[in-house]
Amino acid sequence: MREQPNERIATDAVKAWQLTAHLIAIIPLLLTIAAFVVSYYFEPFPYWVGIILAVITILEWGFTAFLIPKLRWKRWRYQIYDQEVYIQHGILIVTRTVVPMIRVQHVDTQQGPILKKYGLSTLEISTAATTHEIPALLEEEAADLRDQISELARVEQDDV
Amino acid sequence: MMSEPKRLHPAAMIFNIIQSIRQSIFGVLPLVILAVGNDAWFYVIIGASVLAALIIIFSVLSWYRYTYQLEEDQIRIHQGILIRKKRTISKHRIQSIDLSQNIIHRIMGLTKVQIETAGSDHRIDAALSAVKMAEGKKIHDQLKYKKQMMEEEVEDVEAAGEESIAEAVAQRKITPNALLVAGSTSGSFGIIIGLFGLVFSQFESVIPDRFYNQVTEWLFSQAAQILIIFAIIVLILLWILGVLATIIQYWNFTITRYEKELFITRGLLEKKQSTIPLKRIQAVGIKETLIRQPLGLATMYVEIASGDISQNQEMHTLIFPLLRKSQVKSFLQELLPEYQYEIEGMTKLPKKALPYYLIRSAILPLIATIVIAVMFFEFAWIPLIITFLACVYAYFQFKATGYLLNENQLLVQSRTLSKDTALVQHKRLQSFKKKQHILHRKQNLATIDTAILNKFMGRHFVVKELTVEDVDKIADWYSYRIDS
Repeated sequence: MREQPNERIATDAVKAWQLTAHLIAIIPLLLTIAAFVVSYYFEPFPYWVGIILAVITILEWGFTAFLIPKLRWKRWRYQIYDQEVYIQHGILIVTRTVVPMIRVQHVDTQQGPILKKYGLSTLEISTAATTHEIPALLEEEAADLRDQISELARVEQDDV
Repeated sequence: MMSEPKRLHPAAMIFNIIQSIRQSIFGVLPLVILAVGNDAWFYVIIGASVLAALIIIFSVLSWYRYTYQLEEDQIRIHQGILIRKKRTISKHRIQSIDLSQNIIHRIMGLTKVQIETAGSDHRIDAALSAVKMAEGKKIHDQLKYKKQMMEEEVEDVEAAGEESIAEAVAQRKITPNALLVAGSTSGSFGIIIGLFGLVFSQFESVIPDRFYNQVTEWLFSQAAQILIIFAIIVLILLWILGVLATIIQYWNFTITRYEKELFITRGLLEKKQSTIPLKRIQAVGIKETLIRQPLGLATMYVEIASGDISQNQEMHTLIFPLLRKSQVKSFLQELLPEYQYEIEGMTKLPKKALPYYLIRSAILPLIATIVIAVMFFEFAWIPLIITFLACVYAYFQFKATGYLLNENQLLVQSRTLSKDTALVQHKRLQSFKKKQHILHRKQNLATIDTAILNKFMGRHFVVKELTVEDVDKIADWYSYRIDS
């Protein structure tokens, strides 16, 4: 746990996260527009509510779309050993996780519409008590890893 | 060996009736109260008798249609009045079979058989609500893969079938004295106060206003001393109730170690037996509550992996209700030699971790203090006291936290309110995390987070602000990696 893992996730992850952030930013944007519309047609409702909402929208959008994805990508690393999976992530709080192969119960890959657009998919590793994911790997890479891990996890398991 | 489909003992009808009544009472009660309020006694009686007739018919029919059949290596259960359900449970899937007897069972020499399977789907578990004791044991012996044990424990029932002997490795039994102490320090009177309040608030609307007013008037007209004495008497009564509850629940608590399982019998009115296969034990814990710790007393529990939440709501399974702290070591040596309780040389937190504990615990009351000091200065002492208590709490939390590694076992000691020491084997830890934020990195601190399986999908052991060296040491101990 002294050294960080050496594999990185796909570079397109940044784009996928940015797109997600743009889409989410639509919600506060709509709220802001609604606030302005209401205050235009309905006198007692003050304009400053809309202005505050606009500021919040811009801040939220700026952070989640331009700052966070890159930092997140920089931190995300993983490494697959024969005996365990080693993962590192987190921007402010850096978390390093070890998941032993013999504790792995099943491995999934999953892909939403946004990840699909960039040809990425997420790998999910479950033990009996916990779930861990490696987000945004290239599709083939994720599939290969899934097969590799499930192969390695197939060692003799004593119960649970 | 194939056997004919059999029905449960007719007493099962009684249990069906009781269960239906219990299920319908909450739906019906408001209606009854409403009707009584409108003086519609006639309808209440008609309604009640129709309902009673329905329940009885339903119970008889479901008893009639419920059959079970023991086969070579499985049990087959058919049930359902209109919709027939057939369920087959294979012997290999069965995790444990528990026999339990409540007071009705005991009068009639019957037992309830609960068959528990692995996995989180407890709908596939089965319970035969009433069979003859001998029959229950036969089912137990036939379905359990190791046909052994049992016979000699059930002392108040005639031994049935052939004695298949298994070596009881060790046994411990609680003494009535210890039980009394356990009850008086259980703090369960807190829960009973809660229950009392709940029941009272339910019935408040039923008590006539006039009576209620009179009582309150009388109460408020009394001198403060009398009120205090009255409160103390109520508290003592509740406390005695708590003691009684503990005694009824854990009467004759006996734990026996067999080669591959722990076997527990307990209970005064309802006699319960349970088997804990060793391989399902995920961790052993020693818990010292605030009241018990100064007296040097502790409770032992185990965390087991099981999907069966419905059966009892408790997080852990108690393996001994009360024990002197000094005896914990010998208790484990006798009954669970797989786990060692040795706290000599435990690694505690570094001093620089203390500020984190203080801030985490005291930050909210501190903010409250400042806000209140600004707004109503004369009341600022209230949040100030809370802040102080939070600091004391944080300090003791800091003092209690620690870990100890030995060959294949991790010991983690922590405190929420109670001090809790958990012993976990290396192979039970499902994953391991090391967490650091910016300040941690500057100060060479890190937090570990590791999880085991338990009844609720997993319990995390988190030790915050250990030194990085310690964390790396645990990580190395945990790592399965062979090369590096």
